[in-house]
Amino acid sequence: MRKLWVVAYYTAIESIRNKVFYITLLFALIVISSSIVFSQISGEVAGRVIVDVGLGAIELFALLIAIFGVVRLIIQEIENRTISVVLSKPIKRSTYLLGKYIGMSGIIFLNILIMFSGLVLLLLVKGEEIVLNSLVLAVSFVFLKMLLIMAIGLFFSLFSTSSVSTIAVTFMIWVLGHFSNEIKFLSEGMTMFLSKFLMKGLYYILPNFQYFNFRDFLECSFLFSGINIFLVIVYAVTYSAILIGFSIFLFSRREV
Amino acid sequence: MGIIRIENVRKIYIRKSLWNAQKRIALENLNLDIEEKGVFGLLGLNGSGKTTTIKLLLGLVFPDNGNLFIFDKKIPNLEVRKKIGYLPEASYFFKYLTAKELLFFYAELSFLSGKDKQKRVDYVLEFVGLKESEKVRLADFSKGMLQRIAMAQALLGNPDLLFLDEPTGGLDPVGIRKMRELILRLRDEGKTVFFSSHFISEVEKVCKYVGILHKGKLKKTLEVSALNGKLEDIFIQTISE
Repeated sequence: MRKLWVVAYYTAIESIRNKVFYITLLFALIVISSSIVFSQISGEVAGRVIVDVGLGAIELFALLIAIFGVVRLIIQEIENRTISVVLSKPIKRSTYLLGKYIGMSGIIFLNILIMFSGLVLLLLVKGEEIVLNSLVLAVSFVFLKMLLIMAIGLFFSLFSTSSVSTIAVTFMIWVLGHFSNEIKFLSEGMTMFLSKFLMKGLYYILPNFQYFNFRDFLECSFLFSGINIFLVIVYAVTYSAILIGFSIFLFSRREV
Repeated sequence: MGIIRIENVRKIYIRKSLWNAQKRIALENLNLDIEEKGVFGLLGLNGSGKTTTIKLLLGLVFPDNGNLFIFDKKIPNLEVRKKIGYLPEASYFFKYLTAKELLFFYAELSFLSGKDKQKRVDYVLEFVGLKESEKVRLADFSKGMLQRIAMAQALLGNPDLLFLDEPTGGLDPVGIRKMRELILRLRDEGKTVFFSSHFISEVEKVCKYVGILHKGKLKKTLEVSALNGKLEDIFIQTISE
């Protein structure tokens, strides 16, 4: 158990010291701050514009860090061969993989926390009303989404032989995962058995990222009951756990 | 007790593309038995299968056929890994960590705890002459320093068996001499060193036994002291056969 946290800790340290982390964060804070410009022309809904742009930026930059970070976890370590020394030590491959995932999750959490603090600060400076419960729930769901996208990226990185293909596939799934309902709608309208079957399969296999889009419904937070929130958490954790399980299996057979 | 035993090992690398799969036999019917402590050298040209042999023994790649044993335990085995150290062919490490942080990380993975960890990290840093650079990030290390930190991490768990993959590769003459002294010092401490190289003179200077590997096949195993400095001739003759 200790080794798991050791790997997580050093993964986080490595990521924090990478200049890319700071540059991404800086860009994110600039984009969040730029929402002031949009709010100037938004009249009475200025606060809502700041929140929308801010939450959008938080998700986008968290996604960038998650996808590029998850590629660094294993596939880049295989590419630059740092992994061979680590795996020559008495550590289980599953422990190493889980530790890396937890460490990267910590970095995403920190990243979201800093961006969220920037957003709240901006709202305070502008004197806008802050519905903290809803905002916290919205960013928590973004974090859950990132946990899931990292699990997807990790899984594909163990299939793939290059970082670029992993990034492309993960990003594609992120996009498709936002169109689950449309995929379902399309499949229902199809008449050919094979295409209908494939579309239905795609609908059931792909994660539905719309479940996490609480930020789109900030004004109607009553829609999100305790049980709904619980189900979304269960969905994210179960989906991620299954993918991590498959990743552990693939990693145990991967030559490095 | 056997130290290393390799039985009928075959390893094939398959490079897949969209259209076809290319097979390359890295090792063919490899048998090797090392029972005596000391320095064993695996000599061969580039691509002869030296690194693959070491990676198989470390459980980093898996054989297509045959079995490998270290201290009479079948590989891969976590218990065995506590007793071995590995110096890779080229030193690839986490460049944002300092030398000391890197060693602490590996020490944690090697089951060293508390006081032992601190003492052992200080000892190996001193041993490889990097004590003064312990707070320098690896990104700022020279090639020679990286090779020494690689040696330091291999020695962390005070292993009984060391795998050194081309330990003198890329080093300057002073570095090569220091590495040689280090290997001999380890031998004198009672460690077993399994080392691969294509530098015949180095193998001759430090090894008790040498195996000649060519195109994935172990051609000969020889006792160096009985060769009267003719290892080069024997090597050339063996790979020409």
